[in-house]
Amino acid sequence: MTTAAPSPTADRPAGGAGKPGARDEAQRTPPGPGLIIARGVTRRFGAKVALAPFDVVVRPGAVTGLLGPNGSGKSTLMRCLVGLVRADAGEVSIDGVPLVGDGTAVRRQVTYAPGELHLYSELTGREHLAFLLRARDRAALGRAEAIARDFGLPLEQRVRAYSHGMKRQLVFAAALAPDVKVRILDEISEGLDPSKRSELLDRIDAEARAGRTILLSSHHLGEVDRVCARLLFVNAGRLVADESAAAIALRSARRMAVDWSSEEVARRAAARLADAGAATGGDPVLGAEHCVAEVYVHGARTSFTLASDDPRPFLARLESARDLPPPRAIEHGRMSLNDLYRDLYGVEGT
Amino acid sequence: MLRTLRGYTIYGVGLTIVLALMIGGAIYWWPSFAENVTKLKVFAAPMPMLGDMLNQIEQGGVSAYVVGQHYFKGGNTVGVGGAILFAAGAIAGEAHRGTMELWLGRPVSRARLLSERFFGGLLVTCLPVFVSSALIPWMLGWVDESMSFADLMRCSAHCSALLGAIFAVTFFWSAAASDPMRIIFVMLMFCVFQFAMYMVKTATDYSLFRVADIEVYMELVLRDRFDWRYVGPLLAVIALSYLGALRVFARRVP
Repeated sequence: MTTAAPSPTADRPAGGAGKPGARDEAQRTPPGPGLIIARGVTRRFGAKVALAPFDVVVRPGAVTGLLGPNGSGKSTLMRCLVGLVRADAGEVSIDGVPLVGDGTAVRRQVTYAPGELHLYSELTGREHLAFLLRARDRAALGRAEAIARDFGLPLEQRVRAYSHGMKRQLVFAAALAPDVKVRILDEISEGLDPSKRSELLDRIDAEARAGRTILLSSHHLGEVDRVCARLLFVNAGRLVADESAAAIALRSARRMAVDWSSEEVARRAAARLADAGAATGGDPVLGAEHCVAEVYVHGARTSFTLASDDPRPFLARLESARDLPPPRAIEHGRMSLNDLYRDLYGVEGT
Repeated sequence: MLRTLRGYTIYGVGLTIVLALMIGGAIYWWPSFAENVTKLKVFAAPMPMLGDMLNQIEQGGVSAYVVGQHYFKGGNTVGVGGAILFAAGAIAGEAHRGTMELWLGRPVSRARLLSERFFGGLLVTCLPVFVSSALIPWMLGWVDESMSFADLMRCSAHCSALLGAIFAVTFFWSAAASDPMRIIFVMLMFCVFQFAMYMVKTATDYSLFRVADIEVYMELVLRDRFDWRYVGPLLAVIALSYLGALRVFARRVP
């Protein structure tokens, strides 16, 4: 059970209609080569809001990760971008082409790998690639076959004999083959073993380095964070965070987690730490100068962000806090992105 | 495309073979049937509609027997069943298998994808009727009988209009739904009900199959011309179902 302690220093987004910065950028940016632009994209399924007005600009030359828990709206956004789901409102353009009608013109500029993996089991791997690459450039099938062979896929076999991971690789090969500037990949690494995932991410990284625009989604941060230069975190159909991987890494480096003997102690410590983070004065023992921020409690663990990378002054103060029992464990600078997002945005990444 | 072509070819060839075997067997037994038609009329006496059909065959001879066997029986049973089975899975089958996103995710317009399936399906629903009909003159040679090829083609076109209409209505539903089994069940039940109505003397004029029975086919043969009173509305149903399917499919969520 994860609970967050109320904290005067918490900076979780209020959960309004997306991030104003993203909206401004989307409004300002004209459609252009390699750009994915979504302006105010909204979609409801009955009473459920799948996408609140969603604004984003994704630029070429880097991998952008679209991250969030299951049902957060990632796949709906991707489907709206390529015209598979019609947005109730908003505008989309990809590679300078506006999304109109059923999105055929946009889909010519982009490859899309769906997250849900259901293939035609009666087709062979090669036939399936030909099916997926219909209306693509003539050389695409050859390239896809080469990629599939690199993965070791038996293209002469019927797809019904493929494992889940092999099917995923087949779809990936088809998504990577067409000569287009933009690739949108939904849950592309899901179900792959670590070595295949690594191979796949290397290819995605190389694509981005070659100047292509890559938008990939995952509900598992640890699977894709190593290739993403930028991370968009989505929850309940809204963009709750848009940060560079470097900024996230810096925050991660300053993050500290302390395990206590019980949740009660963790809460007591959180209250002290929150007080320590107050603007003036603060807790006389833990000290305001460390500017402890983003304090949360998860079970018997208290997590927070320090003002600097050096934890030693804070640890010395913590040792002198006599009303708190000795911590069971202290972790610093090693938090996963998953934990970080859970702490900062109050949602589970996996 | 390859997958679709393969499926269409198997279906089309299969339907042609079944229809040809049915009419081949019927023609083979024609002499025996002609000899025993009086006894059969006694046997069919409790069912007035069956008696009427036997009367029509007795009066019309081998032509009435052929149109009854091939178009009324073969077309309205195997043909209709095949059209429903084929159309029900055309779009809803993709949703049911979970492959719709893959199918639609390519840079091909929805209108084109739907039209390929619609007109391809329409073709393989109707073509077997023509192909199997084209074999009838040769089959009639087995029993020293003959029938005009033009009459057979006219009857085939009429039969195809009905099969096309049933295919189109089922296809329209398929474009909007995700469960092909439900579509098949409801459409087959509807057709069985319509057939049951046809066999009831007082209800027969309200049955769908009244537009494609022995009497109607024999008029096509005897008058030597097409009857647009029946075919016109059936073609309108096909056109409206196609346009409706296009409209529904355009906004469909995979």
